[in-house]
Amino acid sequence: MTFAYPGHASVLRELSLVVEQGALVMVVGASGSGKTTLLKLAKGLLPLQGGEIFVLGQPVRWPGTCGRLDRRVAYIPQHLGLVRTLTVLDNTLTGALGRAGLLRSLLHRFPPQIVQQAREVLDALGIGAKAEERVYRLSGGERQRVAIARALMQQPRLILADEFISQLDPATAAEIMQAMRRIADSGVALLVTTHDFDIVGRFADRVVVLREGKKVLDCPAREVPVEELTLSLR
Amino acid sequence: MTRSERLHQWLWLVLALSIGLSLASVGLLDPARLGRGAMNISIFVTALFPPNPRVLGTVTKAMLETIQIAFAGTMLGFALALPLALAATRTLMGPTASSPARLLLALIRTVPSLLWGIIFVVAVGLGPAAGTLGIALYSAGYLGKILYETLEGVDPEVVEAVRSVGCGRLQLARYALLPEAANHILAQLLFILEYNIRASSIMGFVGAGGIGFYLLGYIQMLQYDSLSTALLVTLLVVVAVDWLSARIRRSVLHMGAAVQPGT
Repeated sequence: MTFAYPGHASVLRELSLVVEQGALVMVVGASGSGKTTLLKLAKGLLPLQGGEIFVLGQPVRWPGTCGRLDRRVAYIPQHLGLVRTLTVLDNTLTGALGRAGLLRSLLHRFPPQIVQQAREVLDALGIGAKAEERVYRLSGGERQRVAIARALMQQPRLILADEFISQLDPATAAEIMQAMRRIADSGVALLVTTHDFDIVGRFADRVVVLREGKKVLDCPAREVPVEELTLSLR
Repeated sequence: MTRSERLHQWLWLVLALSIGLSLASVGLLDPARLGRGAMNISIFVTALFPPNPRVLGTVTKAMLETIQIAFAGTMLGFALALPLALAATRTLMGPTASSPARLLLALIRTVPSLLWGIIFVVAVGLGPAAGTLGIALYSAGYLGKILYETLEGVDPEVVEAVRSVGCGRLQLARYALLPEAANHILAQLLFILEYNIRASSIMGFVGAGGIGFYLLGYIQMLQYDSLSTALLVTLLVVVAVDWLSARIRRSVLHMGAAVQPGT
């Protein structure tokens, strides 16, 4: 795939990448290396300028700035994009908007099985007790869990997460990544961008290194040379 | 003297001449006329006191009607503004829908509330119904613009994240834009209600109900003591509503600040 923002040099240049079912692939690179753009292209938030992206065998199409996006691909932005005035449960239920009926969701009358599912997801992520809390009252780690819960409510086949643990302390980041690892083990593909070496070695199946929009390394996480990772962040 | 200083002097001279000419052309540089005006004002102010307590009941009832016009008009205006604002929000709609919606809101805003009042007096007859509709339409134009600007100001990351779940436009508005902008919208709604109380008190000038009918009547019949009672009641209500609205808006915006990112 190839992409450039208007009036700027190419952000991604002839990048090719495969994320398999159940794999946790981490993309490492310095700021401006094209990590966020890669995820937004895969989600359909930006129009591709060259090449193609396939999710579950179907090409990803840009539906315009207001069109409907594929719910099977979940996207967690860097600052999570949670609605801070809504409760934890409502933010989680937001993930099911693509499959809840329009009228029911507008009236906030979600089907009981969806509400039950949301509560189960929150319980599994350890924040079931805070379901009725408003998001602005939560800690950083709790917010990450809400963002993951919202993504899981989409029943996704692919989760794209953009440096979403970068602002957490190491212990909380490790807990969140353990949860992500379990999600990958359940058969969901995960593409996570990061600049945290420690996380890469412990949780990723594969590592892709980007430098100035080009893929310079793509190998199993256990085999990745530390020098190459260090170099990638310069 | 430098060239820039000379230019400044010329600019001041042009400004002073423009002000002088404008004042002269509207008759405010005529000493005889100004003298007569000052005398009339002193007679008028003297005649305002003491206020006439006998009209207090009538005036209070009319003021209640004014408050009702303002409240119902504001709420009706909000109900009209919301769908138009959603259609005008570029985060939700493409230019095909948003541009006509913006144009319509601009057209509604161009007509002042008093003129809307006259139009509705013609349409539905004399009385508070015309005033309420006039206030509603003006409020719809104003609130519609504020609403779509507020909705477009919602954090783009929140919009992207909620859009990403595969929801439709109305769901995006219901679960991302409106909750994120709720505090600001409420503050604006209170502000326009406060403004509409003042606007409604002159709706009666054109027969559209409320205390304005009495204000104009007392002036025309030279009953200045009754006029002062009506003005005092109006002043009391406007001050009370200003105070209450400012307090609520402060607390609402304070609450909004508490939910900003990183808090």
